[in-house]
Amino acid sequence: MSNVRRSELSTATSATGELVATAVLGAAFLAFVASWLLIFQWVDETAVYVGIRVLDLLGGVLVVLGVGVAGVGVGSRLGYVDTTPSATAGATVGVVFGLLWAVLGGVLGTLVLGNAVLAWLPVAVVFGGLGLLASVLPREDVGSTVPVAVVLGLLGAAIGVGGLDAGWTWAPAWSSAVFPGSELVPLLVVFGSLLGAWSAAKARAGFGATGRQAGAFYLVRTMVFGMLGVLALLVGFIVVNGVDTMLTGAGLGGHLAVPVVGVTLPWVEFPFLLNDTGGLFVEIPGVLPAVVGTLWLVFGAVLFAVPLGVGTAVFLTEYAERERVTQIVEVATNGLWSTPSIVFGLFGLAFLVPRISGGNSIFVGQLVLGFMLLPLVLITSREAILAVPDDHRGASAALGVTKWETIRSVVVPAAMPGTITGVILGVGRIAGETAPLLLVFGGAPYPNSTPDVIGAFEFSAQPPFVTNDVLLSPASALPYQLYSTITAGVFPKDVFTNAEFGWGTALVLLLVVVGLYAVGVASRLYFRRRLHQ
Amino acid sequence: MIRQLRRRVEGLPGRLRGRVADSGERLTQGASDYRSRTADGAIAMHALVTVCVVATFALFLDGSQWTVVPVLGFLATLTVGWLRHQAEAAKALTFLTTVATVSILTLIVAFLLFRSEPIVRHMGLDLLTRTEAPLWTSNEGGVYSLAPMMVGTALTTVIATAIAAPLGVAGAVYVSEIASDRVREVVKPGIELMAGIPSITYGFIGLTIINQYFYAEFRTPTIGMYFSAGVVIGLMALPTVVTVAEDALSTVPESIKSGSLAMGSTQWQTTKSVTLPAGLSGVSAGVLLGVGRAMGETMAATVMLSHTKGFPSPVFDVFSNYGETLTTVIAFEGGNASGIHMSALFAGGVVLFGMVMVLSVASQYVEWRMHRKLGGDQQ
Repeated sequence: MSNVRRSELSTATSATGELVATAVLGAAFLAFVASWLLIFQWVDETAVYVGIRVLDLLGGVLVVLGVGVAGVGVGSRLGYVDTTPSATAGATVGVVFGLLWAVLGGVLGTLVLGNAVLAWLPVAVVFGGLGLLASVLPREDVGSTVPVAVVLGLLGAAIGVGGLDAGWTWAPAWSSAVFPGSELVPLLVVFGSLLGAWSAAKARAGFGATGRQAGAFYLVRTMVFGMLGVLALLVGFIVVNGVDTMLTGAGLGGHLAVPVVGVTLPWVEFPFLLNDTGGLFVEIPGVLPAVVGTLWLVFGAVLFAVPLGVGTAVFLTEYAERERVTQIVEVATNGLWSTPSIVFGLFGLAFLVPRISGGNSIFVGQLVLGFMLLPLVLITSREAILAVPDDHRGASAALGVTKWETIRSVVVPAAMPGTITGVILGVGRIAGETAPLLLVFGGAPYPNSTPDVIGAFEFSAQPPFVTNDVLLSPASALPYQLYSTITAGVFPKDVFTNAEFGWGTALVLLLVVVGLYAVGVASRLYFRRRLHQ
Repeated sequence: MIRQLRRRVEGLPGRLRGRVADSGERLTQGASDYRSRTADGAIAMHALVTVCVVATFALFLDGSQWTVVPVLGFLATLTVGWLRHQAEAAKALTFLTTVATVSILTLIVAFLLFRSEPIVRHMGLDLLTRTEAPLWTSNEGGVYSLAPMMVGTALTTVIATAIAAPLGVAGAVYVSEIASDRVREVVKPGIELMAGIPSITYGFIGLTIINQYFYAEFRTPTIGMYFSAGVVIGLMALPTVVTVAEDALSTVPESIKSGSLAMGSTQWQTTKSVTLPAGLSGVSAGVLLGVGRAMGETMAATVMLSHTKGFPSPVFDVFSNYGETLTTVIAFEGGNASGIHMSALFAGGVVLFGMVMVLSVASQYVEWRMHRKLGGDQQ
């Protein structure tokens, strides 16, 4: 059945069927997009197009979808449209349509008989059974179109001419929220258009195995591109809302005084990135302390996690002889990877804070983020070392090179690209980490100075001989800055409101993280290409 | 069946004894191997390094200011050892890093349990089961019940899973089976990027846009409820599901798929009836990991929930004014809690950690089984 291709000598009738199905797909897509626009309130639900209210228009589109889908299905059954349907639409379709009909029956039962479970439940069950039978028993072209067409038609009629409109509300007893028609109707249309499009996509490919493939692919594609759409929306929101804040006062009018020569050069002016957040004399508050704090955090975490992770990876792949050791470390690594970030914070609070700084500090923050980075570094560098071909090791050993020399000059250099990529991607993840910082790191919500770690080293004859007050005191980091902006209430300066400053911080944070990701992904592609050459 | 079991039990002491003897033998064998293979100087270095590391850890645990002395000793020993016996020093160092990695997880478990012991002694089993007011107060000698937070975590996790599981599996199928190479090179990094967007950013958008939307349109009693938080958490768990499930689907051997296609199946029939069932354990491992991520997600929920502790009625009313999960209570109150209150937060951490670990181990087991099955190791 499945590999039967429709003959290329398609007749006029099959072209009509395809045409109708394509039209239905197009209409469903339009309704889908329009409903989301309504839900996002980019289109007002009381708007009027071509003399019809927009919700009624959507209802009308649903009716058209139903008629179109049913038309193709029945046409195919009666032989007017040339298709290759299977004997039945299959259990999946039966279950989906059965559930759909059950919901329909439940709603009708409630409307007619009242809101008692005993009243609507039997109706729902009977309708569900009917829907199941109606979609499974007839040939596929009827079974996968007519049951859904009936539901679409009824729904469309209820929206278009019935009482289901913007002013209608649904306030179920179990919920504290009230569902207004203005939001519920677009949601129903989204579902309806997806169902209609599913059947239409099947019909367009002529039912049968190819038809089912077309329908399934259509649904999967819609989901995936919906996901990417959400991603685009997230990024879009942050960019649109944050860009004004970030660019406040920015321009080319700045001056850079070169200290020794005494010359002033024209320089970029970027107050949001280069100013302190608090402080009396700051005109445009910026996020410099948070940026510097994030840099120090990332630097410390990498310094801590990379030697540990790479060392462990080398031991596991090159030295460990017993399976059991590898297994234990693997379980520990996966455990660390899936440990919730806030638990790392609790651990830092219980173990490190009292022993190192007695309070929130940069150093403890670095260590805790290092713990979180460790499994990522370990997993990726271990994969990279395992990917080094055994031939390299054998060739090196054949030359009389010792095992350690081989590891040092053959294995580790060959595994470097993978490790570096892993570290960059891992850094991208911990740079945005907030939860542990709340417990072990964060300081004042609007800091008025940047942490000067390098200048704060002091040496003494007393143990521990080296001290660094700045490293042992709290600071700010970009994600922490965003959190404290959200929770702190009123912003101290008039230039920005709290929300504006938050959007600006979010944009800077996003740029940092996305930048790291881009570098990581690009280096992965680069190294992979070089490997395959 | 029963007789078999009994024979097993009877055989146990003997086998156990044999095993102990075996491992003892292995140990002596290993020790003499080590002696004969390693130079005297290297043995001395190993011993010194061990002493220094143990001393460092002990002093650090004690909070002593003298911790720096064994650290310096460690560095000095290692420098000398590196110059004289580089190979041994390197091996010792990599072994040390391995021990450190494993001990971090051990320390986490130990300290969580240690710090939550006072509240367990104070509240007993009520800590997990108490459902009548007061649920969470420092009055009356301190009453802390984790039950409402566990309900909250369950509600947000269920909503998040309902979003992340189907969409994630669909995404994995798309990336590994449907998409052309060029589309895949765009979609896959896009999904990875979604995982990289910081959770606090999701939370900020959720707070300023999604929560406001629900408050204005659906007239929820407060700005912030389980439903919107669960939706956002689901979006955040989505990339984990996609990545792991996609890995699983691409490990299904090409020969199986080709076999199915050669029989005349369509690509979708192959995916549905061959690839997905073969990779099912890997896909479910991905879903389990995603559930774990959703459970442990902190910042978005902290920013979006109302931090009112209680049980919605009925319990699945996700639009109610209540909103607190295990993670949010720790993040929200951890900064200024002390004494038994802090201990209660640690107990919350233990519950959370335990649940996430169970999910993690389960997913590893499932994945391991799949590799065994597809690797053809069946006897």
